[in-house]
Amino acid sequence: MVTVTINGKLVRAKEGEMLLAVLRREKIDIPALCHHEAVEPYGACRLCMVEITRKEWDGWKNMVTSCLYPVADGLIIQTHTTDLIELRKTILDLYLARCPNTPEIQDLAAQYGVMQTSYEQVADPNDCILCGLCTRICDRMGFSAISAVNRGHGREIAPPLKNAPPDCVGCLACALNCPTNYIKYTDIGHTREIWGRKFELLRDAKTGQLTITKEFAEYLSKHRVIPQDYFDLNDESHRKETALSLGKIAIWSREVPQ
Amino acid sequence: MKIVSPKQLEQLAAEYKKTADRHKKMVIVCCGTGCLANGAQKIVDAFAECLSRRKVKDFTVEAVKKTGCHGFCEQGPLVVIEPQGTFYTKVKPKDIETIIEKSIENDEVIEKFLFTNPKDGRKIEKYPDVPFFSHQHRIALRNLGKIAPFDIREYIAVDGYKALAKVLTTMTPDQVIDEITKSELRGRGGGGFSAGKKWRTCRNVPSDVHYVICNGDEGDPGAFMDRSIMEGDPHSVLEGMMICAFAVGAKQGYIYVRDEYPLAVIHLQKAIADCEEHGLLGDKILGADFSFSIRIARGAGAFVCGESSALMRSVAGEVGEPRAKYIHSVIKGLYDQPTVLNNVETFVNVPVIINHGADWFRKIGVPKNSGTKVFSLVGKVRNTGLIEVAMGTTMREIIYDIGGGIIDGRPFKGVQTGGPSGGCLPESKLDLPVDFDSLTEAGSMMGSGGMIVMDDKTCMVDVARYFLQFLVSESCGKCVPCREGLYQLHKLTIKICEGNGTEVDIEKMEKLSQQIVVGSLCGLGKSGPNPLLSTIKYYRDEYLAHIRDKKCPAGVCRNLITYRVIPELCTGCLACITACAYHAITGQKKEPHVINQDLCEKCGACVAVCKHDAIEVS
Amino acid sequence: MKSRFIVTPILCTGCRTCELACSFTHAKDGKVGRSRIYPLNGGFKDLYVPVVCLQCEDPACVKSCLVDAIYFNENTGAYEINTEICVRCMACVAACPFGCSLFDTQQNLVIKCDLCGGDPVCAHFCPTKALTYKSIAV
Repeated sequence: MVTVTINGKLVRAKEGEMLLAVLRREKIDIPALCHHEAVEPYGACRLCMVEITRKEWDGWKNMVTSCLYPVADGLIIQTHTTDLIELRKTILDLYLARCPNTPEIQDLAAQYGVMQTSYEQVADPNDCILCGLCTRICDRMGFSAISAVNRGHGREIAPPLKNAPPDCVGCLACALNCPTNYIKYTDIGHTREIWGRKFELLRDAKTGQLTITKEFAEYLSKHRVIPQDYFDLNDESHRKETALSLGKIAIWSREVPQ
Repeated sequence: MKIVSPKQLEQLAAEYKKTADRHKKMVIVCCGTGCLANGAQKIVDAFAECLSRRKVKDFTVEAVKKTGCHGFCEQGPLVVIEPQGTFYTKVKPKDIETIIEKSIENDEVIEKFLFTNPKDGRKIEKYPDVPFFSHQHRIALRNLGKIAPFDIREYIAVDGYKALAKVLTTMTPDQVIDEITKSELRGRGGGGFSAGKKWRTCRNVPSDVHYVICNGDEGDPGAFMDRSIMEGDPHSVLEGMMICAFAVGAKQGYIYVRDEYPLAVIHLQKAIADCEEHGLLGDKILGADFSFSIRIARGAGAFVCGESSALMRSVAGEVGEPRAKYIHSVIKGLYDQPTVLNNVETFVNVPVIINHGADWFRKIGVPKNSGTKVFSLVGKVRNTGLIEVAMGTTMREIIYDIGGGIIDGRPFKGVQTGGPSGGCLPESKLDLPVDFDSLTEAGSMMGSGGMIVMDDKTCMVDVARYFLQFLVSESCGKCVPCREGLYQLHKLTIKICEGNGTEVDIEKMEKLSQQIVVGSLCGLGKSGPNPLLSTIKYYRDEYLAHIRDKKCPAGVCRNLITYRVIPELCTGCLACITACAYHAITGQKKEPHVINQDLCEKCGACVAVCKHDAIEVS
Repeated sequence: MKSRFIVTPILCTGCRTCELACSFTHAKDGKVGRSRIYPLNGGFKDLYVPVVCLQCEDPACVKSCLVDAIYFNENTGAYEINTEICVRCMACVAACPFGCSLFDTQQNLVIKCDLCGGDPVCAHFCPTKALTYKSIAV
């Protein structure tokens, strides 16, 4: 355990823990758009920057991204200095120039008093803030079906060569974890469409309700050794089946210890 | 043939020296990239063709040597006749016959190929007397233009791998690091971090695997220092890396070269293959308990891959994006192992320091900035090329003595150092000593050593716009301040260039720049606003002229200039009328012409064809 | 000695108090959670089986999780979902053969029984002691 000072308050933290996790635990409101526990810290949105110093640094201060900075004993952290607020304002201002119509960005910017961008709006705005969560989560799950393409301001998220991604299984992790809901998908009938590729959704054998895609189920049974027939029913039917079979045992043995 | 002991290397060196001296006369043809582009290969072919036709006493085709870059690219292709050291410039293939007949057979000097000193119009005969060379101090470029890069024997003949032998037989790794630390060698890639300290940190990390990487990803516009060294003297790079590997305990090294440098890749590959064949790379090098191998990693030419963490990711086969590093790459670098990453030029300096000692090296240059620095001197300067000067040499010496001043004797306006991350320095800073600390203090930086000289016809707003455009397209796009911030700065400079700027925009740019410097993830973003900030600092008037008077004093920004015919000077020759693609110029023969401003697209074609300077730009 | 969650279907009356207890225990940000326990008809008249996570020995949910969000809690003997890590891909929901990993549309989370951190609230509220949490010899 180490002890750090956050905004003047002594806080204990686990060694090697990232600063952002400690700040979140302390209920300090630090915005972060590119952070997710499932993936490695990335440090792209620069909103979670905090100011750190140490007694022995003689007043020298440094601004670091808290999502990437491991806590160490004796750190003195300030989270809302004027410089930091100014920096966050500028970044949100820049975000608004890129994503002027994105509610999530608008709300966050409004919290910092930025109602409208002071810069020139980009010609063809969309909701993607290029936080990289979708691609990193896809990598983490082992599919790597999508990736960031191009450099600099022309960067975007796309499947290989912008064709239907061959490695995608349609799990929707990218779309569900997108902080601005930019990634669109449709479930029509028992067909799911995402990234320009169509997937067949499995249906519950009894009720016909939709579960996961056939590709995802195949992946799980192949790589994670889950019997294929587990995917024949959805969770509700599974529970009913369980109740029936356990009921039979219960009648017979009068007690079911788990 | 495997060299198994330092003694054998010594013998070999003596033997190769003899072989090298067996030619009574030699012709050295510069085959650096600049000269090759000017047709150096054709010169070599012409020599071969000519010598196949005629017999020359004491001279065969083997005595025609292709070397690396001499540096004086402006005057290429260069041919040097040894041992006299006669220096011929701008040689054409058709001249070879004359050169062989006069200079080689009869030891005559051919006046018309000699270099003319632009200051007094005198012809200069000998290679070292040319002011471009006489003001230089060559350490990193010591072998460039002297040895054939393709031949390991030539390198061994000039005491190559002597430093390696010395290190392996008489020194411990700690002694090597102490020597480098004592020499105060600073990383030549731009940051100027002490090489010795870096090596020491790396060595002290307890790990089974250490790596040495040579950064040859030179991406600054107008810079070709590392390229020339890798092309012209690859063995020096390898030797420096081997010494470093011995010092930090690395077994594997990588050279990261951008694939736009095919010649460098070929020469390095050949050098590595030769070393492996001679037992200088591989297991038990020179019979000592030291094994090391080097691989070449070819980069796809992204500017950001020169940044250490992006480079290491690229070497490992991942996307070349920087990651934030609160743990330095020296401790956790390539494949999360301790890694020394130094620039090509840094490694090239290492064998010299080992051979001559740290004290000798420290005497060169100024305190805390020892040694020399290679610059590529380009832009509106008479003698463009590759130069090496002792640290602390003033900008004036570099530009006026070595560079020969500004083209056409125009006034000097500024010099851009350090590439896109550096800044522009005005005339008042001409007497600034060129070293790491002075340049940083002046708001620019050493960078890897690009030096772009600008005259009064260069618009500083346009320069800032150009560098921002470069950075916008080279930013990896990972972090917001760099991706969006530089883009907005670029937009604002365009706005000013087009004459739509306001004074608030300057303030806005300064404020945004500060935030980009603070907020960016890697060095590219952190130093990205430098060209803009330095031009605003030193050339504020020019920005204000664009904004208030809607004028571009240098006559560059199209929206803010007009072309006008001066009636007194116009002879009515019709040349501009023919040249104008937009039919904007009208007039009769022998009568002053008139430019129709509504049609004029400000392409400048008329100025180029007017022989009487009758068209003014305002 | 280890604590085990014991379900005795024969005692269950299907009153669904456990469901309520579960929902309210897992309320978050003013939203009640979806119940993790379901008393369902066991195929005979008036026989109800409270279906809840069996905390299997080799659980399909853990195997199917591609981001390792489900982990074993040594103290309680329960497999828990770290909702911070979970990416809501629904692999565990589809893979559990007992249907005990479920998706809470209100809270937008994948949930499963976590034994309330070692003190199952449903057991406290079960009027007929069909649900108990007690130490047994293993």
